[in-house]
Amino acid sequence: MSTTTTTTPAAQRSERADAVRGVVDLGITAATAYGRDDLTARLRSTRETLADRAVHVLVAGEFKQGKSSLVNALVGATVCPVDDDIATAVPTFLRHDDTAHASVVHTDDVDPDVAPDELTGDDIGISDLHRFVTEQRHIDADGVDREAKAVNVWLPRRILSGMVLIDTPGVGGLSSAHSTPTLGALPLADAVVFVTDASQELTQAELDFLRTAHEACDRIVIALTKTDFYPGWRTIRDLNQGHLDAAGLDTRIVPVSAPLRNHAIRSDDRQLNAESGYPGLIRILTDEVIDESASQAQGTAALDVVAVCNQLESQFRSEREALADPERAQAIVEELKETKARTEALRGQAGKWNQTLNDGIADLVADVEHDFRVRVRSMLKEADAAIENSDPADTWTEFEPWLYQRVAADVLVNYTYLRDAATSLSEVVAQHFHDASGGVLDRLSVHNPVPLMSASTVEATVDTDKMGLGASGFTMLRGGYMGVLMMTMMGSMVGIAVGPVALGVGMILGRKTLKEEKARQLATRRAQAKNTIRKYADDVAFHVNKDSRDTLRRVQRQLRDHYATRAEELHRSTSEALAAANTAAKKLESERVGRLKDIDAELGRIDALRDRAVALAPEAG
Amino acid sequence: MSLLDDARTLLDEARRVWVDTPCSSTLDELAARVDAPLRVAIAGKVKAGKSTLLNALVGERLAPTDEGECTRIVTWYRDGHTYEVRANSSEGDSRQLPFVRDAGAIEVDLDGLDADAIDHLDVTWPSQRLRQMTLIDTPGIGSLSQDASDRAWSFIHPDDDETPADAVLYLMKHLHVGDLEFLETFHDTEVSRPNPVNAIGVLSRADEIGVGRLDAMGSASRIATRYRQDPRVRRLVQTVVPVAGLLAESAATLTEDEYRALAVVADRGPKDIESILLSADRFVQTPDIALTDLEREHLLARFGVFGVRLASTLIRRGAVTNARELSEILVERSGLDELRELLTTLFIDRRDLLKARSVLFAIDRLATDHPVAGSDDLRREIERVLSGAHDFAELRLLSALRAGQIEVKPDLLDEVERMIGSSGAAPRRRLSLDDDTSTEVVRTAALDAIARWRRRAENPLTNHDMRNASQIVIRTCEGLVADAV
Repeated sequence: MSTTTTTTPAAQRSERADAVRGVVDLGITAATAYGRDDLTARLRSTRETLADRAVHVLVAGEFKQGKSSLVNALVGATVCPVDDDIATAVPTFLRHDDTAHASVVHTDDVDPDVAPDELTGDDIGISDLHRFVTEQRHIDADGVDREAKAVNVWLPRRILSGMVLIDTPGVGGLSSAHSTPTLGALPLADAVVFVTDASQELTQAELDFLRTAHEACDRIVIALTKTDFYPGWRTIRDLNQGHLDAAGLDTRIVPVSAPLRNHAIRSDDRQLNAESGYPGLIRILTDEVIDESASQAQGTAALDVVAVCNQLESQFRSEREALADPERAQAIVEELKETKARTEALRGQAGKWNQTLNDGIADLVADVEHDFRVRVRSMLKEADAAIENSDPADTWTEFEPWLYQRVAADVLVNYTYLRDAATSLSEVVAQHFHDASGGVLDRLSVHNPVPLMSASTVEATVDTDKMGLGASGFTMLRGGYMGVLMMTMMGSMVGIAVGPVALGVGMILGRKTLKEEKARQLATRRAQAKNTIRKYADDVAFHVNKDSRDTLRRVQRQLRDHYATRAEELHRSTSEALAAANTAAKKLESERVGRLKDIDAELGRIDALRDRAVALAPEAG
Repeated sequence: MSLLDDARTLLDEARRVWVDTPCSSTLDELAARVDAPLRVAIAGKVKAGKSTLLNALVGERLAPTDEGECTRIVTWYRDGHTYEVRANSSEGDSRQLPFVRDAGAIEVDLDGLDADAIDHLDVTWPSQRLRQMTLIDTPGIGSLSQDASDRAWSFIHPDDDETPADAVLYLMKHLHVGDLEFLETFHDTEVSRPNPVNAIGVLSRADEIGVGRLDAMGSASRIATRYRQDPRVRRLVQTVVPVAGLLAESAATLTEDEYRALAVVADRGPKDIESILLSADRFVQTPDIALTDLEREHLLARFGVFGVRLASTLIRRGAVTNARELSEILVERSGLDELRELLTTLFIDRRDLLKARSVLFAIDRLATDHPVAGSDDLRREIERVLSGAHDFAELRLLSALRAGQIEVKPDLLDEVERMIGSSGAAPRRRLSLDDDTSTEVVRTAALDAIARWRRRAENPLTNHDMRNASQIVIRTCEGLVADAV
């Protein structure tokens, strides 16, 4: 990927970033010079994406394993409140900025059109953070009772540049209502730091969570915390590695100690800092997670430049051919006319790719809804059976978290289904676009814009290179389902009490009479519980279906806009080529020679730029 | 006639009913149980520190403790004249086993027996503490069953049923009360069932909550208080106390050598101690301290980072000057004293009631499972005792209050619970008087209470539940007046 081998990896990386920015800027200059404002606009947006890209690192783990301590130790500041008893209740997003400030996002700030992690919310003082992070409800300045959904913190810390660190409420055995937002945030994460302390080996629940997390995000690092307190942490680490291997999870364990790290920072003790294990963890996050994501974005940007070069080249190439061989000039013009007609068709509503897209999305909406309906039905069946076998008065406290967790897992699987289906649809559309454009594509390459899954899957089916909307497409899909999970599901059942009905009367009656009374009330409670579950399931299904529909519509719009723009670009390139060829055919011999020289010079420049971009692009797989 | 006498009478009756049946051996065991010490089981999840707490309570290292899971068989520890270990199979055979004491803990040689075939081990050990109660160590609930959804259904019911133990200590780790794992603490129904009548929650490994800081026990107390007030916990246990199990065990069995080693650590200045004890690794690896590696590892294994920190600080400040003093203060700091006190007021002082309860439930179960001629009469008789005896009415009221089945104004709740003996059955405890108040004062207080509760019972605005509860409280007070002569 990289050209130099003598410098350090860090220097290499920044060199490549500079080089990519350089070719994109050159591309913009070239497109502007040739009067192709459409291509200029495209590269401008490429440059913006390049600058904005920040990876999301989710810090997850069970209750009281030291997640907030880990986040504090990572950034080297006491940001997230750490307490022996009080736990984090609201997710905290840590980002980079030149000055430290913070804001809180309330339930009523939620806007379905804005990705949840991009909501800004109301400014708060850094010193007030603990109030908002540990309690969801609070009374604001106007005396209104509000519910916090998330807290944003900006800090001038180097580690945060290019990274958003998310501290989450404890997962609680993957079975409490607390786990729901964490599960929901998973699709948003580029990497997960899973926190477990050295007091005991990984529990079954933790492994279950890791397995689920792995579905949504394949980069997981396990931080083994509190190694300063547990002398036997090495044993625990080895046991954990065994569990991970047995579960087929390819993740690393990094033993860390927050107190050692804090002490090291205070006393500026390098040796101690190394002992704390944090430098290793930070290296993984910056060198692997951030850089890989950055290099992916850079590759995409370089490919964009290649594509723009191809477009520019095509218009000169035809003119050159017509100039070089006047006999064939008319034939070339005819050929181009034909191509133009085809690009015309590609642009229109009747284009096959367009129909494929419209039909495909409609089918997908139905399929995804059906998939979720089936899941809900099987969940209800299980829940009913459970209610029939127990007394909700005794079991509701256990049942309720189970239900939340079960539904959250269903939503996540449903989301994965949607994501995979949307990915293959985008590939089919790309194929149809490719087929319909026929010969045009031999000159001008067009690419699948939405590599939703990973670069490699897309590469296998689509032409030579890929580019464009990749990064933003990703975020869009991510944003969709996270909305449901984080914003609507929590607490939907709050206020429905299936508590025990008063049994006081029975207290002084004999035990036998009490039993009859109990049986009658048990039946009532069961019916009540089943109703509650149905109402909840309806509620969730409504939100999930709405969200999947919205998400798919967004995907549709995005794909349509992308290919429409590409068709427009092709059409314009062809038109320009046709105009140039027409002029060339009518040119005099003397003019020809001069023009040929000019064109060769232009082609040489474009070629040179393309070569530079190709060198920076990922190798075609 | 006392409740235990009632139980004895019913047992005699039962022996006549089931004479010459396989059930008679069960009844013989029950008869022995009436006169034996109270049985207290220590339950909780794997690695909650059950064996460690058992050793602390006995004040001797008996149960083996280790970093891995080590208690695999239910083990009974009871007082006796000889040192003996017996294996009891599920079929009822009993067989003596050889054993050695390794570093204090008893190591049993199963002598070729399959661990699965053993129902429980019976360790007889002459001990003053075991004379008060027989302790039952349990393997604990597995590190979660395979399928989370299966597990979610195996709920626990606070229920009246027969169990081998009369009372139970539930060891819980610091977890979110909304967690299934937290509630699983109480799934250990092999020896007892959670019930606010005979169960105490112990927030074990309390020193880990503050990750070994010197104020860790303060945090643990706050958490225990919060658990105590949580309705989900209240309906399962009577109260919750924090105990730093490892520290309690080591403090109760502290040796002179260990004291000397801790004094060596304490000799260093406070800054030095802080840096040596920055991490467990550092403590073991610091070369410039006059202790061998083995000694340091031993200290860490016995006391943990928290214990070493606390003990060396106490010695350095001159708060203690010898092993006995250090042991006393560490036992107190570990929360063990408070737990012992609770065991006395809640279990030992009420042992007759708890034992009678166990025996009655056991006979009732026998009558359900093996009905014979006359067993129905026996059940009616049990029913009569259970609903007639005022002590049981108190227990039932307590359960109902804890389960939230009775609506009581919050400001009255504490008083009702105390009156019916939730913080101890002794008259002065019920009336919240100092232990040294005179009988006359007790009598006056009880009479006052009667008048107060009668007004409540007769108030037309008082709801039905509350009126019933008031009647029970009045009955209790009448008993107190009668006893205060």
